[in-house]
Amino acid sequence: MSENLLEVQGLKKWFPVETGFVEKLLTRQKSYVRAVDGVDFTIRRGEVLGLVGESGSGKTTTGRVILRLIEPTAGQVLFDGIDLLRLPGEELRRLRQRMQIIFQDPFASLNPRMKVGDAIGHGLVIHNIAKGQQKRDRVCQVMEQVGLVPAPVLYEKFPHQLSGGQRQRVVIARALATLPDLVVADEPIAMADVSVRAMLLELMLELKEKLELTYLFITHDLATAKYICNRIAIMYLGRIVEIGPLWDVYSNPRHPYTQALLAAVPVPDPRARRIHPMPKGEIPNPINPPAGCRFHPRCPQAQDMCAEAEPHLVEVAPGHLVACHR
Amino acid sequence: METLLTIRDLQVQFDTRVGLVQAVDHVDLDVYRGEVLGLVGESGCGKSTLGFSVLRLIRPPGQIVGGTIYFDDLDLLAQTEPEMNRLRGKRIAMIFQDPMTSLNPLQRIDDHFIETIRTHEPMVSKEEARQRAQEMFGHLGIAPERLHDYPHQLSGGMRQRVMIGLALILNSDLVIADEPTTSLDVIVEAQILDLMRDLQRIYGVTMMLITHNMGIVAEMADRIAVMYAGRIAEVAPAQALFDDPKHPYTRGLLRSIPNIKLKDQSLEIMPGSPPHLIDRRPWCRFAPRCAHVMPACQQVNPPLVRVGPGRQVACLLYE
Repeated sequence: MSENLLEVQGLKKWFPVETGFVEKLLTRQKSYVRAVDGVDFTIRRGEVLGLVGESGSGKTTTGRVILRLIEPTAGQVLFDGIDLLRLPGEELRRLRQRMQIIFQDPFASLNPRMKVGDAIGHGLVIHNIAKGQQKRDRVCQVMEQVGLVPAPVLYEKFPHQLSGGQRQRVVIARALATLPDLVVADEPIAMADVSVRAMLLELMLELKEKLELTYLFITHDLATAKYICNRIAIMYLGRIVEIGPLWDVYSNPRHPYTQALLAAVPVPDPRARRIHPMPKGEIPNPINPPAGCRFHPRCPQAQDMCAEAEPHLVEVAPGHLVACHR
Repeated sequence: METLLTIRDLQVQFDTRVGLVQAVDHVDLDVYRGEVLGLVGESGCGKSTLGFSVLRLIRPPGQIVGGTIYFDDLDLLAQTEPEMNRLRGKRIAMIFQDPMTSLNPLQRIDDHFIETIRTHEPMVSKEEARQRAQEMFGHLGIAPERLHDYPHQLSGGMRQRVMIGLALILNSDLVIADEPTTSLDVIVEAQILDLMRDLQRIYGVTMMLITHNMGIVAEMADRIAVMYAGRIAEVAPAQALFDDPKHPYTRGLLRSIPNIKLKDQSLEIMPGSPPHLIDRRPWCRFAPRCAHVMPACQQVNPPLVRVGPGRQVACLLYE
């Protein structure tokens, strides 16, 4: 059994840009949104890797491509040594019970006409793990694990009858029902109220220990990532610009983008008001990403070479890699 | 300190199918001239409703049912609709969360500015108005040629810059900013906060900054008012609130939010979730989640009492 549960290499997802009929006739060249454009990382068993970036950085697409919810353009994904991208449909389906996803919006990802118990147990039925009373027992067990009690009562409720925090627990329970190894959590607490976020984070950590889970934790919130992640990968325009043990990256960020990102987070302490100047502008269009280093047009430390050659990830400290020419 | 806005005993109700929702429940609040007042609370606590009430933008089924709002000696709730229209945008301006829905998609950016200026100052010529818009663009950090763009051609950050420009172009006395950076990414958010702080100083405008983010009020506000379930829980100078929060809700909230600067910070978990706002009996609405709850908390609305210089708390622990 390899130490890594997940190995991702050279992963790319380019979405073709739809153009009008006339444009199609006039231009030969097809253009693509390069949502994920060459991403490498591994996740060890039992680890939480944070994938952090602003909107448009490709973090959500990365999470979905890994589970083959969308097909990648290129690259390799090894899940427990199995090449996911070459797996035929039937085998992929069987493997899916070991890889689950938690979506951001519990309202949009729950069927409003399905009782929450049935929603949680849906995976058990699809994968022929349990049905009837057996399914009900298993669902109640998971519901208790995520704090949805009394489970037999809540089993019969519909999503709109639950509070926001409870709905998020349903989504977590649904992901855990099939006893997965890997959980991709895509902004799992972003919709929750401030005062219930800490509770959900605590729950996710507790479940990870108890059920020996491995998480890919996708978020834009660096302060939250601190609580749950062992390592962190910073994405910018479809690429990882820095990756390493969480506190190494937070206390000693090497990439100018990571530095800006960390400095931009508002700190709940008026004494710690920010002095770090912000880079100009916003994430550019991923259809034609800047040549060379993708961050160079906004980088306060850019040099001539940054516009020419694309930097690759280089190890600067044990396990801490940075893609920057400096 | 001179008070610019005085809110007393304000009550706003929403008549819904499930009953009367007390969105703003007997709120007292002062905003001083030249300050940035941070109004924080979780979703549904009534902070946005309070902000909208000041501009009298509450639409049915919502209604202001009691209390007073004085703005610079003007009784806002006694103004006629035309009088309010003259105040809105001119003396009290608003920055909304989502700039895309508050800009006209069919109107170029410069026309937004020209219309705003000429509505309130009909004597100003189009050319003069355009000139002023161009000057404002210098402050906003947007290239002047973007004035001819339509809203969809601008990025989210630039659209919010335009909104800020529109709020300040008439030299308003008071700007109400409702979650102005919530839809933005963290670096753009920081850019916008920098811009708001700079312009607030340049124009000397008074600002009411409504947000759910404790980090943002820490960054921006001179004073902070914390709202919970339709009521003000606590008012304090910014530093004092973070150093020594008085209300159990504020304390719990501050201990449950992550601070990126602290390596070993354990998060405290606040049990329960905010209550429904239908219950009208007098009681402290935080009581079910409070570690210091006493029998009296179930029987009275804790009044907002003074507990130190510039500090007020609505909690029976301080009676």
